[in-house]
Amino acid sequence: MRKKLAGIFVTGMVFAAVSTGCGQSGAETATTAGSTQAESKAEAETTEAKTEETAETTAEAAVEQTEPLVVYLNDFDAIIPDLFKEATGYDVEVVVGNGAETMARIETEGDNPQWDVVWLDSMPSINSMGERGMLMEDLEPENAKYLTDYYQEIVPENKSYYPTGAHAAGVIAYRNDKYTEETAPRTWEDFTKPEYQDQIGMADPSVAAPAYPFVSYFFEDMGMEGAQEYFGTLFDQGLKIYPKNPQVVQALASGEITIAALQESNAYGMINSGEPISIVWPEEGAPASVRVAAISAKTDQPEVAKAFVNFLLDPETQQAIIDSGDEGYFEPSAEGAEPKADRAKDAKLVYADAAWASENEGEIKEWFADASAR
Amino acid sequence: MKNKLQKEGTVGWIVLFVLLILIILPLGAVLLQVVDPGLIGEKNEEGSMNLLLEVFRKPLWSKALTNSLLLGICTTLLGTCFGAFLAAIRVKWDFRTGRLLDIAAWILMIMPSFIIAQGWVYFASGNGIARAWLGWDGIGSLIFSFPGLVFIMVLNKFPFAYVTIKAALEWKPQRLSLAARMNGASAFEEWRTVQAPLCIPAYCSAAILIFMDTIGDFGLPSAISGVYRFPTLPYAIYTAIYSSPIRFDMAGVLSFYLVLLIIAAMGLQYVIKGRKRFDFMDTGTVQAIPERPKKGLGAVLNIAGAFLAFLTLCVPIGSTVVMSFSDSISVANFGFTLDNYKSVLLQGGDLMEGMGHSLTIALMAAVLGLLLGFFVSFVLNYSDFIFKKLIDVLSLVALAVPGVVLGIGYIFVWNQKWLEELGLKMYGTPRLIMLASVAAAIPVITRVITGGMAKIPRQMLFAAGLSGAGFFARIRSILLPLLKGVLLSAFLSGFGGSVFNLAINTILYPPNYQTLPVYISKGVENLEFGYSAAATVAGGGAVVLLILLIEMLGRSFGVKKS
Repeated sequence: MRKKLAGIFVTGMVFAAVSTGCGQSGAETATTAGSTQAESKAEAETTEAKTEETAETTAEAAVEQTEPLVVYLNDFDAIIPDLFKEATGYDVEVVVGNGAETMARIETEGDNPQWDVVWLDSMPSINSMGERGMLMEDLEPENAKYLTDYYQEIVPENKSYYPTGAHAAGVIAYRNDKYTEETAPRTWEDFTKPEYQDQIGMADPSVAAPAYPFVSYFFEDMGMEGAQEYFGTLFDQGLKIYPKNPQVVQALASGEITIAALQESNAYGMINSGEPISIVWPEEGAPASVRVAAISAKTDQPEVAKAFVNFLLDPETQQAIIDSGDEGYFEPSAEGAEPKADRAKDAKLVYADAAWASENEGEIKEWFADASAR
Repeated sequence: MKNKLQKEGTVGWIVLFVLLILIILPLGAVLLQVVDPGLIGEKNEEGSMNLLLEVFRKPLWSKALTNSLLLGICTTLLGTCFGAFLAAIRVKWDFRTGRLLDIAAWILMIMPSFIIAQGWVYFASGNGIARAWLGWDGIGSLIFSFPGLVFIMVLNKFPFAYVTIKAALEWKPQRLSLAARMNGASAFEEWRTVQAPLCIPAYCSAAILIFMDTIGDFGLPSAISGVYRFPTLPYAIYTAIYSSPIRFDMAGVLSFYLVLLIIAAMGLQYVIKGRKRFDFMDTGTVQAIPERPKKGLGAVLNIAGAFLAFLTLCVPIGSTVVMSFSDSISVANFGFTLDNYKSVLLQGGDLMEGMGHSLTIALMAAVLGLLLGFFVSFVLNYSDFIFKKLIDVLSLVALAVPGVVLGIGYIFVWNQKWLEELGLKMYGTPRLIMLASVAAAIPVITRVITGGMAKIPRQMLFAAGLSGAGFFARIRSILLPLLKGVLLSAFLSGFGGSVFNLAINTILYPPNYQTLPVYISKGVENLEFGYSAAATVAGGGAVVLLILLIEMLGRSFGVKKS
């Protein structure tokens, strides 16, 4: 009898493990026209409730919450739950991990997602989730009206995610004890100059979340072949690839490399820590990593989730996270919020089209991984 | 009588069933990708056979495979010899710094390799302590090269050999040794012809542990990748899992190769051991009592012991301590500050909370792991169970397969609606981290206990059985008293390893649930090296002290009892 029970249990588990995957591609879209109206109303109420409260007191929740909203994110985990609670009265629980870890977790959870909102600087990956029906569509957060024109364009047609800001996935960071302003590279094209042989490093697009938006910009801008030639030249000249940006920082700080395409918070972090580093914002633009927020199509708390996305688009919220510390080096998406004072005023951000980047993500990452190993 | 001895077979089935839940199901869910790449995750146009052969075509994969094999083999050879040599010296001579070596070995075994590697980076990199403070210019290029990587790996992994072989040498086949000496064998010849051959199982266990832990290690090559790039199989697996769309099929194929390597290594072990018997515990067996060395030799041993403890532990940990007081990310720009400790200890209870969670999970995992590991070793040593070799392989798999693969397998298996409806919600609760930690701790626990059990002859249990002792009576009256020290070592290694298991914690931790390794690694991710170093010193230090305390209490309790 015991053996039988054990057998049934094991069979069940194997079946379940297999069925998780089988159902994954068929994720449903939960939003209907009817519910959208009701939700917009609730959302308006939420926003109203928020504005009526002072910053000192916690707002009353507009919708009764049965369990905390689960948000998967990669930054600002220390301040966001309290800020949101203060503004709306809702509870949030966060799972913080780097972009790749969080995406792996989301993909593995498949058809039984444990998250309500995802807020990451991995726009191509989230765009791909939207195309696969994993995200709630037709979101109309009231605070979207604050989005600048640049960020309005980023909102996809199905309105499945909204940008809350963008940071440079790569600026040119160089050791100023090795180069002067004149001798340091000023443009991305300069990286191919022979005098910088064996001196340049960057993060691995397969592992570091912001490194793919960086690489994909070149592939879209130069075309697949053009970018392969560009990076091929860099690899021939000894371009070094490190798993993530903190390792690029270590390499730059130790003198292992003297120039890097470095994510901006890391670059400013080095300067603030007293390292001999200078930053160049290339005139043609620094490829951006856009941070976007999206809601799971299967969330059972759509009202609270929408209130959260709306909250992230609020200029006050964006200002609060900019002022919070080194993670706050980014360009806010809302009009009225100001970037950090020491961030370059002429910072120009460029980005690859999210749909294009997500469509070609596998191919580009594979090419890059193989080229870097040669 | 027959019924009493049959229990060994039943234990075999129970152990296999538990390993099935803990290891086969989660790993199988990932490995299934090799058979049908489209089963979970993205469809892949290439056939499964094609994907299997890709490892020889894709530059990153073939380089990763070669690198892993090369690093694994070199570290195993050198690490086993080094650990065995130290263990032999430690058991033979009683010298003051011997205890220091034991402590260093224990700390190295439980400290995650990424922390030790980070310490070496703080020490030897271009802006590290060696160059900035000691003026040693060339050390960076020496350490951060292939031989340097093997050197750090050996210093990091030799404790597996040291602890396992030392445990095996603690009992001596006195009668055989005396016979050899009476027939004119020198001390070395006696060791070579009597002791060493009887310890072959322990050498094999040690070598396999080092090999598996080296080829499965992501932390160390990754942590030093800022100064030396060396892609290994776990790195290639990470790139597959962290691709978007996620390539479970690729992770499955690469994990499949890791499993193949384990099977090959185990096969080699079976060939080496052959059908010979290695148990020697009978009436002529005595506990090895270290001798006091003569003055000159004693001084040499003390200095060598202190130097080794310093090199293996103080250099990396000491460098981390230095960083924890630094207000800069470079030692070259060092400015003394207590702010890192202030933020870690005073601002918010995150570290304490994370440590509380990690300790609780680790304690439960170590208890369950010890229980399971004991019976796994029992089946391996004393039963004729038909799937004994399968259990042997399964008990090692979790060491070589990166934690992230195991973690993902756990999500596949346990993130099921129907399980939640049955009230068996595991994913998103600390219980699942505990289960995965048991799976991850099993290899070391099992190898430590197996090494100990190999010395106790099966006939001893059989004789007790014939005299009417039941299954549990035999365990209670024969195995437990003889294995007390080994069981304590196994428990502590399981406990320590679970506290710091970063990969499993990262992929499985529930919302708003802080754990110690995630807390420490977040500091590095946020470029707060000083803060992360302070958290490592405070959190890691507390855990190590706790373990040493348990060990001391356990040992003194054991001594009194015996």
